[in-house]
Amino acid sequence: MNCHEAMPLLAAYSDGELDPVQSAAIEKHVLGCTDCAVRRDELASLRSRIRSDVPYYTAPPALHARVKAALARATDTPPNERPARDRWHWLTAGALAGSAATVFAWFVGSAVLDWQVGTDLVAETVANHARATLGNRLLDVASSDRHTVKPWLSARLDYSPPVQDFSADGLPLAGGRLDYLDGHPVATLVYRYREHTIDVFVRPSIGGRAASSPATATLRGFNVAHATGAGMEWWGVSDVSADVLQSLVARLARGPE
Amino acid sequence: MSARADRTRFEEVVLPQLDAAYNLARWLTRNGHDAEDVVQEACERALRYFDAFRGGDAKAWFLTVVRHACYDWLKRNRPSEIAPGDGSEAIENAADPAMLTPEQAVMRNASTSALAEAIAELPVGYREVLILREFEELPYKDIARVVDIPIGTVMSRLARARALLQRSPLLHAIRDRSAGAER
Repeated sequence: MNCHEAMPLLAAYSDGELDPVQSAAIEKHVLGCTDCAVRRDELASLRSRIRSDVPYYTAPPALHARVKAALARATDTPPNERPARDRWHWLTAGALAGSAATVFAWFVGSAVLDWQVGTDLVAETVANHARATLGNRLLDVASSDRHTVKPWLSARLDYSPPVQDFSADGLPLAGGRLDYLDGHPVATLVYRYREHTIDVFVRPSIGGRAASSPATATLRGFNVAHATGAGMEWWGVSDVSADVLQSLVARLARGPE
Repeated sequence: MSARADRTRFEEVVLPQLDAAYNLARWLTRNGHDAEDVVQEACERALRYFDAFRGGDAKAWFLTVVRHACYDWLKRNRPSEIAPGDGSEAIENAADPAMLTPEQAVMRNASTSALAEAIAELPVGYREVLILREFEELPYKDIARVVDIPIGTVMSRLARARALLQRSPLLHAIRDRSAGAER
């Protein structure tokens, strides 16, 4: 190993990120190289000064008390008195599957997809999803950054789909893809939920259809949720539970905050 | 599971990370009072999203929520701090030792506050990776997850943060002064 190879690895070496073989190679190189030895010592000295000279702020006792009180308040509030937005978060997290909140929201929010209108499209979305997850073409643009995914899709379509990331809610955006739906190219947003993949097909809503809350269907074991909102039609397809899928689609149809 | 049982498990998993949460929030908000508010908010959010926690590393998961809460706070209170740009000018200008009043010079003579101040003056994107690495000793992959950036970016930000600290004129001034005093 020479300096060109060793220098960029010194930080990773001192952070304990190298495997034993690479570490040994660095150690061997540093023995014979003053420059790299100086650099390694600088890193070590900075670290030890941070450890000794810079305060680590531990949580004050009052904060422990505040947090416990806040948690008690949060869990003692009956779920169906929560504001709508909170209820959505509960659903997204799937935290209360089978509990009062879920059942409540389910009755309020759900409708069975109108099969007369939707059969072909439902079948098409499921076929698209199955094809993508079976093959290797799950993502055309892999990024959790909506500012990357949105321009990529807009550049290839005659509309610009709203793109949102819900990492904080456990539904990270994985990227985007182009598909065909109803004879037209369509933007597909790909989300992850635990080990599941969720495809959401987005296209402009036709004739300014009124916003609708999600309707769901099941086909060949996949759940499909459909909603209209934010000027778009949203079709979610996945093997996740219907309530998670439905809440994602509802959130997308509500548009960016 | 009842909400109460959920909360018990939540407290077991998350409350042991309260120091890490507070330290991160304290360094990102640079203020104890605001850090407390942010951590409380983060705990409430984390409880709501608890089921999205897949088991595994509770610390990285919780710190992700805390960081989001910190950034929401920064957006509301100090939007200029999270503006894009590498901010190296800020750190290089902020600590001009020639500008110190005698009182400040005395205050800063303790190297403790000098290094801490230099860290506090790092642009927030560098500060957070440094805090997660040096204090929490998170591996690069966990830092990448918490900050939501690729591992390569974790490495380049860490390198930049360390270079900024080592170049900080404030630290040099103090090193020179103490070297002078020893002579």
